[in-house]
Amino acid sequence: MNSTKFTPRTKEEIDRKWWEIGDYFRRNSLWMLMYCTGCCAIELPPAMTSVYDMERLGMGPMATPRQADVLLVTGYLSLKTLRRLIYTYEQMSEPKYVVGFGSCTINGGIYHDSHAVINRLDQYIPVDTYVAGCMPNTESVMNGFVDLMELMKTKKADGWKRYHEHYDWYKENQKAALGEVEVHDEFHE
Amino acid sequence: MTNSMNNVHEINNLMGQNFSLVDARILDAYQVSYELEKEDIHRALTVLKNAGFRQLSYLSCVDWPEEDVIEMVYIVMNWEKALHVQLHAKIDRNNPVMDSVLPIFPGAKYYEREAHEFFGVSFPGNKDHEKQLILENWDDMPPMRKDFDPRAYSDRKFTKRPMKRDYEIQDASSNKEREIKREARANALRTGGKE
Repeated sequence: MNSTKFTPRTKEEIDRKWWEIGDYFRRNSLWMLMYCTGCCAIELPPAMTSVYDMERLGMGPMATPRQADVLLVTGYLSLKTLRRLIYTYEQMSEPKYVVGFGSCTINGGIYHDSHAVINRLDQYIPVDTYVAGCMPNTESVMNGFVDLMELMKTKKADGWKRYHEHYDWYKENQKAALGEVEVHDEFHE
Repeated sequence: MTNSMNNVHEINNLMGQNFSLVDARILDAYQVSYELEKEDIHRALTVLKNAGFRQLSYLSCVDWPEEDVIEMVYIVMNWEKALHVQLHAKIDRNNPVMDSVLPIFPGAKYYEREAHEFFGVSFPGNKDHEKQLILENWDDMPPMRKDFDPRAYSDRKFTKRPMKRDYEIQDASSNKEREIKREARANALRTGGKE
């Protein structure tokens, strides 16, 4: 007969188990914050509404960064927007994931030689998955979300941990592009 | 309703009587364009505002590096007559100073800040004109000047993704030929096959 005696576990093992349970529920109920910076944002209404209905994946829109799990960066990021995006990303509670939409977040897209638009999003904040295309069609957007869930399942969606580990590197890149991350405009004076 | 061309002639008379116009063009029944001396702009805007052009639709600049001038463009609109009037004035490119039109059109405040940021024109009279508006922490020459190279700036400032180039332009001359052919086809489509 098997022993029913309770075998003591280490704290790490218990933590890992809880994280697995947490991840299971999290990936089946993702709240996304849409940072609609560019034209790719137009792919989200069909993805959200009855045509593709992302709620069947358990995804829904969320109004504030502090309550959202996924940050969708839909399109090109000007320097001014990047500054606000970093604010938004750092406000989000952990674990947090980032999906980059379109070729603009990958290599700058058609704005690769603009004075105002950054080229690679993953230099400034960690990106978990990209949806390629200019613009990506709604099927690929949905596929990107499924990819993100798969990455969460296999524990590869660890961008937020990378942000902690390489915080200095990210900050350095942000400063190189922006000069200063803090926002100084007349509304913040 | 009166003939809209009457409006154009009316404004043409008004401007012709009051100002020495460098250039006057009637673009269509709803748009007229005048080029004035820099000193006349404020008087012209006042006259136009009194004539019913209540709205300053646009204030911007055009950079002409060959002529070494910056062209100021003011567009005012009359709601009653459906007429736009463009006022142009050329100012020195090396020392671009244009007095603010803030007392005439208070809405020009933000346009002037934008023009200062993108073209480097300063507007004495608008005490905010040097405040940043769109660009933040800008560290180069005004970016809409034509001698500004956005690609060089982008290469210097932003990390590029290294990419494998999997194509090659074989012959630049063959490209040129294709370009001419493509343009001819585009023209043919535009004119419906007629020359």
